[in-house]
Amino acid sequence: MLSSVPEALGLLLTGQGIAVLLLGTLLGVMMGALPGIGSTVAVAMILPFTLTMDQAPAVLLLIAVYAGSVYGGSISAILINTPGTPQSAATCLDGYPMARRGDAGKALGWSTIASVSGGLASALLLILAAPQLAAFALNFGPIETFALILLGLTCIVSVSTGSLVKGLLAGMIGLFLSTVGGDPITGEARFTFGYFPLIAGFNLLAVVIGVFAVSEVLIRVAANIEEEAATVTFNGMVLPRFAEWKGRGKNLVKSIAIGCGIGVLPGTGAATAAFISYAEARRSSPRAAGFGKGEPDGLVASEAANNAVTGGALVPTMALGIPGDAVTAVMLATLTLHGVSPGVRLMTDNPALIAAIFIGFLFINVMLLPLGMIVSKIAAPLLRMRECYMLAAITLLCVVGVYFVRGNPFDLLIMALAGIVGFVLRRAGFPMPPLVIGMVLGPTLEISLRQGLILTDGSFAAFFTGHPIALALTAAALMMLSLPLWRWAGARRRNG
Amino acid sequence: MTGTSADLSQQSAVHRAALPFALLLTGVALLLSTFGTDYADLGGAFSPTFFPRIVLFAWIGLATLATLVEVIKGDDVGDARFGAVVIVSLALLGYVQLLPVLGYFLCSAAFAMVLLLATGLRKPVPLLVFSLALPAALVALFNHVLVMPLPVSPFVWWL
Repeated sequence: MLSSVPEALGLLLTGQGIAVLLLGTLLGVMMGALPGIGSTVAVAMILPFTLTMDQAPAVLLLIAVYAGSVYGGSISAILINTPGTPQSAATCLDGYPMARRGDAGKALGWSTIASVSGGLASALLLILAAPQLAAFALNFGPIETFALILLGLTCIVSVSTGSLVKGLLAGMIGLFLSTVGGDPITGEARFTFGYFPLIAGFNLLAVVIGVFAVSEVLIRVAANIEEEAATVTFNGMVLPRFAEWKGRGKNLVKSIAIGCGIGVLPGTGAATAAFISYAEARRSSPRAAGFGKGEPDGLVASEAANNAVTGGALVPTMALGIPGDAVTAVMLATLTLHGVSPGVRLMTDNPALIAAIFIGFLFINVMLLPLGMIVSKIAAPLLRMRECYMLAAITLLCVVGVYFVRGNPFDLLIMALAGIVGFVLRRAGFPMPPLVIGMVLGPTLEISLRQGLILTDGSFAAFFTGHPIALALTAAALMMLSLPLWRWAGARRRNG
Repeated sequence: MTGTSADLSQQSAVHRAALPFALLLTGVALLLSTFGTDYADLGGAFSPTFFPRIVLFAWIGLATLATLVEVIKGDDVGDARFGAVVIVSLALLGYVQLLPVLGYFLCSAAFAMVLLLATGLRKPVPLLVFSLALPAALVALFNHVLVMPLPVSPFVWWL
């Protein structure tokens, strides 16, 4: 990895490389600050603009938007008590009370320092852990890859908010959608029903933008929510003084550790990390009485943890090609669009690209501090904008983005239909991340299963005899799947 | 005329179960289509229907379970402005179908107006300014600055 650093710097230190890091972080912070967009929609909206870029700037732009949006969510959480992203929901608890009592600038200062610290620590974790994991995964053949993807699919259990059955069903719909088009072994057309445009299958990007961004627009139209105008005074960010950190360092370190640990687990997410970290800080802080009334410890716990998740979530994504959530699934889709095959060989086959991503990720987190100071000033008046303008802008940009992928009007139709179907499914309580994860992992799952069966003369039992890694991964997948049942049984026992 | 609470509860269960049941029927229809003569019978893992059948069996099992769960104890979905959603959805379908014919600017301006009206904007000046300015800005950016052309209208080459 170290030997690739000069080449990686060559990829980064170009006009395009520097521009995407700055612009991507800036855009991410702004989009994260606008309530209703969120990290997934922000990344999905930006993805099509990467199509004309080289591999490294394309992936870095998405990572910059992702990391920026997680931080940006705290701006609206503090200034208007509306988290720009779900990850910042816990930030409202102490951020808004601080802003109401006239300390909006200070609240943003605390959240920015905590976010930058969390992001930088997670970048180091990514740099140290991902290559080790990837080196181990190089021993994988089709059978181990099948077991690994199976384990990756179990994160559907954790991303299925609400009903687990509906989450699993959405995952199956995603897996099925990935089978439409040419068969990977025989080339025969499947489920096209004689309709020629379906031969190439469903365009992943059109479906992702449809089910996340377009369905979100329809949900907002159905709800007709209008946010209240900001009621707090804000005159710019004020960073906390060094002396004010006295006694808070332990809370910061603990929150970062929680965020990094949860981030590595597929499907757990930044929102969970933020709330767990907040609860732990409240339990252990000597200033616990002030929590919920504008206590900086609460803000630090939430923001350090949710930003620490970003690097952690990239560890399985970059090392194993397993997306932990919808955002990392979109990133893997980008790699595919740029001719890079995600999977266990990703780091070995593309060392310079991966090194550029790691260095870029460090840079992005450093940039959050100055950009946060600038954007919070710009975003404050933007937060008073009527939501209907934002909805129109999102839809028009989505159309532009999908059109540029292949210039194919059929993709636009798929996007619109995916949006309408996504709206109907989401209204009925079906989560959408499992659908996207199924669609992303489907092709690898299918090819590794079929190759494995061909190698073992059709014996599925042979997958586990003489393949200890596959056995261990399958056992882990079964454990992940049975976790909700254990929790349910435990809850029943406690309730008598 | 109002129904009894038992009638309403039964009606509500039917509404809740309608979508999982429709998904169940879709799964069954897709599975049946794999048994036709459209696919080569290569047997085992070589068959193009091998993996889709596994997925569709799981789909049907989960859809059955979801239907039963909704009938027994599903949560009612809250009220929503479905009229506005239908209008915006139809406008969106028309937008993406007409875009290659009429160009990005005209279609986007018309769609933005419909969306803004459907979301409650009634002031004519902001409605017109936003609906025209945003698509115009995007066309200027992509067609003339980035030189990544969006579909243009048959009436004027620059829009």
